[in-house]
Amino acid sequence: MSLPPASGTGRFFAKAAKSIRLIRQGCTNRPFFHISVTQRRRLNSQPVIEQLGSYDPMPNINNEKLVALNLERIKYWLGKGAHVSPPVAEILGLSGFFPIHPRTYMTAWRNRRTERENLAKQLEAEKSKEAAA
Amino acid sequence: MTLLFSKIAQNNIKTVITRNNDLQILTISYRKLSIVPSLYDGKEDPAPKFFSSNVQVLLKRLTRPDFNKVFRKRTNSGLAVLRTPKYKFLTNEELEAEILKANKKADVLLQMPPVVKVHQPVDDVLSKDPALVGYDSAKYLFTDITFGIANERRLIVERDPDGTLRHCGHDVRKRLNQTYFPIPGRKIKEPMMFTNEDRFNSLLDRQEYEFLLDRACLQYEPDEASYQRITSITYQHIDMNKSYDLLRSTRHFGPMTFYLTWHQSMDSLMLELLQSGAVREGVLLAALRQALLGDVANGDNAQALAQQILPTPIQLAKPERLTEEDIQLDNKCVECIEEYIVSNSAMKSQQELALQGFREHYQQLIELSRGLKKAHGNA
Repeated sequence: MSLPPASGTGRFFAKAAKSIRLIRQGCTNRPFFHISVTQRRRLNSQPVIEQLGSYDPMPNINNEKLVALNLERIKYWLGKGAHVSPPVAEILGLSGFFPIHPRTYMTAWRNRRTERENLAKQLEAEKSKEAAA
Repeated sequence: MTLLFSKIAQNNIKTVITRNNDLQILTISYRKLSIVPSLYDGKEDPAPKFFSSNVQVLLKRLTRPDFNKVFRKRTNSGLAVLRTPKYKFLTNEELEAEILKANKKADVLLQMPPVVKVHQPVDDVLSKDPALVGYDSAKYLFTDITFGIANERRLIVERDPDGTLRHCGHDVRKRLNQTYFPIPGRKIKEPMMFTNEDRFNSLLDRQEYEFLLDRACLQYEPDEASYQRITSITYQHIDMNKSYDLLRSTRHFGPMTFYLTWHQSMDSLMLELLQSGAVREGVLLAALRQALLGDVANGDNAQALAQQILPTPIQLAKPERLTEEDIQLDNKCVECIEEYIVSNSAMKSQQELALQGFREHYQQLIELSRGLKKAHGNA
């Protein structure tokens, strides 16, 4: 199946609510997302209005995640009143285009907490080992 | 022994030395004698001088374009069978129009790769947010793929794992530009011929200079340090082997001449010009040096003479007949070069010898053409 053109093939109503969201395009075990604008009440499998970028969540050999954003078109659709889904809002926040999304801070904080807990557990395990020996 | 080594280094000959008693064979090739590349990274920026119309004209003229070489078939450009050439009968006006067209095409083919300063490293932090530490262990790279923005002005930023948002460095920018807007022929990973020293040196040894420089132009930007390093080594190798003719009629001759003149090492090029009897181009080279460095004795004279030389047709081969104007102009050129040799040259004796050889040859030519004129009865 060939990819739809970036300009999109989805039919849409001018006044219907739009949403900018991630649309999964990869295959099994290899996620890859298009950042697209669609009508809000449509499924992700249906043709989109326009593709606005892409997001590759798997780090490449240099340990980088690549995001492409067509900022001009994103601004256009935001001006038209398009909604932004939380994952896209997070990406835009990290890029400096939006303010950082609260969920990003939450994830960062939770990750730090888990790391701290893991460290503490490790230390305890070592201590108990020493005590046993 | 050290003296011997230095002499071998000068001559650049693969030499085998056999010692008298023990049969120890010592092979020295110039690939072991490393060339030190010099980049345009000093205080002075070469770009304004390189792009000034005066210097461009001089460099283009020094390229001495031979259309047989400029328009030669290099690839069959995707065709299975080469097209047969077309032959046409043309009137004089049509022929002139065709020649004009060919000149324009040649100008495009001979457009010189720019000579600019090495770029400065990018260090531009946009924001720091320590609350993002721990969000992800990978870097995020954001590329603005808005239509119609040039690669060098595209917005490309990265979010580091420590929460810093910054503009990307040049190498990352280049990689991302190539990912989203590929330039045909350019590779994301540097080709082995540039990274592997043995392969690079083998290309130099085989004198594949044009291939090397063409590929470097495609792979790198002109303000990259690696581009300037590669071209610098190549130019110096050409200079050492005096194989300037391989680069004549190509777009790389101008930047090479510029490089040699900028680093004040154009005397072997001057010698080659004198030995091949191209005194006019010798004057152009002196004028170029005056324009770039301004240290030529009586340099204004050379530049004025260059203005006289530029309208004359390019001499691809040694002339067989001479007109009186030619003789006058060439005599002026010889005088100008004499002054240059006395005051500026680093290879005085050799150049003087070459000039003397030219003078003798030229005298014969003058006598011949004057005699011919007399014989034809219009002297």
